[in-house]
Amino acid sequence: MFFTTIKGLIAHKLRLFATALAVTLGVAFMAGTLVLTDTVGRTFDDLFGNVYKQTDVVVRSQAAFGAGAVVQRGRVSESLLTEVRAVPGVAQAQGGVFGYARLIGSNGDALGNPAAGAPTIGGDWTESARLNPYDLVTGSPPAADDEVVIDAASANIGKLAVGDTTTVLVQGPPQRVRISGIARFGTVDSPGGATVVLFRHTVAQKLIAEPGKFDTISVVAAPGVTQQQLAARVAKILPASAEAVTGAAMTKESQAAIRQAMGFFRTFMLVFAVVALLVGAFMIFNTFSITVAQRTRENGLLRALGASRRQILASVLLEALAVGVIASLLGIVGGLGVAIGLKELLGAVGIPVPAGSVVFKPATVVISMVVGVGVALLAALSPARKAAEVPPIAAMQRGLVGSTGYGSKRRVYIGSGLLLGGLATLLIGLFGAVSEGVILVGTGALLVFFGVSTLGRTMSLPLSKLIGAPLPRLRGVTGELARDNAMRNPKRTAASASALMIGVALVGFITIFVSSTKASVEQAVDQSFIGDIVVTSGGGMSGGVDPSLAKRLDLLPEVANATGLRQGFASVEGQVEFVTGVNTATAFDVLDIVPIKGRAVDLGRSGVAIRQDVATNKHLAIGDVVSIVFRDTGAQQLRVAMIYAHGQFVGLQEVHPSYLLGMPAYDANFATHFDMQINIKQAGDVSEAAALAAVERAAKPYAGVSVLNRAGFKKQQTAPLNQMLALVYALLGLAIFIALLGIANTLALSIFERTREIGLLRAVGMTRAQLRSSIRWESVIIAVQGTVLGLAIGLFFGWALVGALEDEGLTVFRVPYGSLSIIVALAAVAGMVAAIGPSRRAAKLNVLKAVTSD
Amino acid sequence: MTTPVLFHEARTFTSVAAAARTVDATKIYGIGETEVRALDGVTVAFARAQFTAIMGPSGSGKSTLMHCVAGLDSLTSGRAFIGEADLSALNDRELTILRRDQVGFIFQAYNLLPTMTAAENLTLPLRLAGRKPDREWLDTVVEVMGLRDRLHHRPSEMSGGQQQRVAVGRALATRPQIVFADEPTGNLDSKAGTEVLEFMRNAVDHMGQTIVMVTHDPMSAAYADSIIFLADGRIVDEMAHPTAGRVLERMKQFGE
Ligand SMILES: Nc1ncnc2c1ncn2[C@@H]1O[C@H](COP(=O)(O)OP(=O)(O)OP(=O)(O)O)[C@@H](O)[C@H]1O
Ligand SMILES: [Mg+2]
Repeated sequence: MFFTTIKGLIAHKLRLFATALAVTLGVAFMAGTLVLTDTVGRTFDDLFGNVYKQTDVVVRSQAAFGAGAVVQRGRVSESLLTEVRAVPGVAQAQGGVFGYARLIGSNGDALGNPAAGAPTIGGDWTESARLNPYDLVTGSPPAADDEVVIDAASANIGKLAVGDTTTVLVQGPPQRVRISGIARFGTVDSPGGATVVLFRHTVAQKLIAEPGKFDTISVVAAPGVTQQQLAARVAKILPASAEAVTGAAMTKESQAAIRQAMGFFRTFMLVFAVVALLVGAFMIFNTFSITVAQRTRENGLLRALGASRRQILASVLLEALAVGVIASLLGIVGGLGVAIGLKELLGAVGIPVPAGSVVFKPATVVISMVVGVGVALLAALSPARKAAEVPPIAAMQRGLVGSTGYGSKRRVYIGSGLLLGGLATLLIGLFGAVSEGVILVGTGALLVFFGVSTLGRTMSLPLSKLIGAPLPRLRGVTGELARDNAMRNPKRTAASASALMIGVALVGFITIFVSSTKASVEQAVDQSFIGDIVVTSGGGMSGGVDPSLAKRLDLLPEVANATGLRQGFASVEGQVEFVTGVNTATAFDVLDIVPIKGRAVDLGRSGVAIRQDVATNKHLAIGDVVSIVFRDTGAQQLRVAMIYAHGQFVGLQEVHPSYLLGMPAYDANFATHFDMQINIKQAGDVSEAAALAAVERAAKPYAGVSVLNRAGFKKQQTAPLNQMLALVYALLGLAIFIALLGIANTLALSIFERTREIGLLRAVGMTRAQLRSSIRWESVIIAVQGTVLGLAIGLFFGWALVGALEDEGLTVFRVPYGSLSIIVALAAVAGMVAAIGPSRRAAKLNVLKAVTSD
Repeated sequence: MTTPVLFHEARTFTSVAAAARTVDATKIYGIGETEVRALDGVTVAFARAQFTAIMGPSGSGKSTLMHCVAGLDSLTSGRAFIGEADLSALNDRELTILRRDQVGFIFQAYNLLPTMTAAENLTLPLRLAGRKPDREWLDTVVEVMGLRDRLHHRPSEMSGGQQQRVAVGRALATRPQIVFADEPTGNLDSKAGTEVLEFMRNAVDHMGQTIVMVTHDPMSAAYADSIIFLADGRIVDEMAHPTAGRVLERMKQFGE
């Protein structure tokens, strides 16, 4: 038995390769992701280990509120430093601050992308070399108030050198600074790709934090004092609002944060691995089904000669095992390549991964092998069982007819069950009030795929008939043959189509999701934004543009109204929420906020406005008092001064603001004063071009901001979606490519089965061109079938997700018919391309040999 | 009535009347040690509206001769013609179209496409050519072949004899210059075989069709107007107006 398996494997190297490729790719994605995340995890672990190597205890403010990713901490008083230094066992203590600072490169462009990528941070230069995680590469520490040290990566990107003068965006007006030194962060040019500007201590407090306050106090223990001992001693003298944490704990905390950030990326990549493996499973299933069918007589002979069912089963599974092992091994090797490629990719989008040797854990190999081989074996199980069921009499029969018809009732029941179960699970995950929604959605989606592919065979006949319907008229007998052949073995056609279906479903889903998101953003801008021009700060959640810009713009003769917007975190009655700051004098003329009760002028320093539905939910009325905890000022009692409807602030984190503060209240409770966005209504008597030009002129000194009209604003808001779309397309394109290889593989095998028929057709007068065309159209039918099924699923997924995210601002469900039609057309073309190889080979068949073969 | 000699001369030298012919046709398989001369200088003409049988021992080159004349295979040397067309001068496309329009085929088995009905199989070459079938002619063919009630069946729903009759019908449907049949009754029982042979005879007598048939069976050969005998790739004898008895006599000599 073993011999026939091996001989079979060697005889069909090429087919094997094509089949294995899909599994290889899936395994490579998986192994690559694991290797990369392990590598990145380890290097960051090392990095933070180094950073806190000399720090025994860190003193910082207690978390004001929040948990996990949104912990908000205030600052501690500077005076605490002297008290900490006086604690017995403290050898050294040093205060530090950090905040938002954005460096302008030598060409005048702002570095980093705090809104959507690499953060831009400012800090103070730590005098103690022991506690300073930065090492100077050239130059010297900042010696004057206008001197800074910057990170080596920014120096490189911004083409800045020691001695150069440039601008830094901080709180207040932009600052001119001189670069006194360039530093590295441990072993990397910059921490996590961030742009770093380090000022002198007091300057940093003034420009990026608060005077008289520190974010952290780093403490070094005297010899013989442990971190725990020291932390306990320091804690005793701290006020209740501060805490002392050991260096080891800080290291752990930072490492965990990185792990969490990597977690999303890991999940994202693993989804593609799963997709590739699913496609691979379909391909293995198909190839094995066909080869098993072709070997019916051979297997019958083996059975007649005394081979047991189990031996036949084992021989097929052995072949699958070999495919799985080879594919997985190649995949693991490929995974290293993928890891390196991903690392470069991360670097290219501004998240440089620290240098360091690749971490290749044994677990990676084991997981990859188990998954790759498991997929191969599982996919081959049903064909292997079919092979084992071949009766000895088959040796005497010729050309058993392939599977025709709609499949068994049981299959239809199981398929429908899977499909309905999947749909239900998915919908519960999306709309139900369950905590593990994501897992339900994933499982549901998977079940839907399995359901549809189980039903694939039943749907295949009518679908092929429908898709092929115009062919006989368009292409005559050639088209007729194409359609008949596609309908000949519905199971095979369905399996080939299913592999394609998966990739197309995801592409369709993403396309619909993105187009709906875009439509929603555009609708929101159209409905809620009464103004004409928007200035976006590019500062993300942590920074922004100095409020002086909004004031200046408001005074321009070309501008009727300019109003700045801010948003920050606060804890409202124990829940982390966004609070949005508006300038009550100007906001209502530019933004779509409709006061229902109360008046905006009453907001003042201690008033809050609440969106109507929120107020209703919380049973709040005008005059009621709400307790809000701010990071910088702690718990405050605010009075409900206004209740409003509508309000959609595109471009902010919370698009439908629940809580509004007037600027006096906002400024009083937030230490940092930045506008995230300025919305402008131009004066009635000027052209848009003139207004834009005037705004641009006024905004010129504030580097990093973008001045946009409505159309430009819509574009800017939807641009990241296009990037995401491109990335997802690229990854799914790979899965689709494999599926097309699968179609080519299936066609090649089917053609091999039909050699005699092809010979006959050629003998009675089918030209090579006609034969090729016929096979091409057969391929098109399969490809379009997979695409149509995929789009149907994608459409449903898209509809479901958009529905689930309605509250997040996804108010429009838009099906991009144009794009979807292009996808179908591309599928048809791809089907033709997939058929090139097989159809050529078929056309080259020697007529006489083919017609006399058996 | 022609004498065998005259008949012989008419066949060999009156090429104008030939539907297909070869001149010094030689086909060699393999090289050196393994060289096989499947055809060794065969010059033959198949007269129009005649039913010719080719006989000879196994391996004598019957199939090879037929394949080479029909444009399914090429000669090593010598020439083959369908009508006035020299096959060696045609490329694959031209050969294919020639086969489609001028030649009919009946193989021993598996003559039909399993996905098509009898009617569809019948009109396959016509439809490949993109031509409208001549209804009247098709009707005649269907009538003569006795296929009327089987037209919408697929091959899997027909007996072997019925399938072969459809194959004969298809071969006739394009009104080709010549029909080649390689042991068309080889897989049939005698009743079904007789039916098929009678149809072929009919096609020659009533439609003026030219048919060349390879057979091992003296009874089948007796349906032909004349027989050529092959041995070791050469024509060794011919016989006009054969009867089963005479053929059997002649065949016995090969055994000696
Ligand atoms: N493709 C081939 N390669 C090598 N030799 C071949 C090939 N086809 C035929 N032959 C040889 O050529 C000779 C003639 O073969 P052919 O098939 O024409 O014989 P035949 O008269 O049709 O025999 P049968 O009655 O058995 O069908 C035989 O010796 C055969 O072995
Ligand atoms: Mg033969």
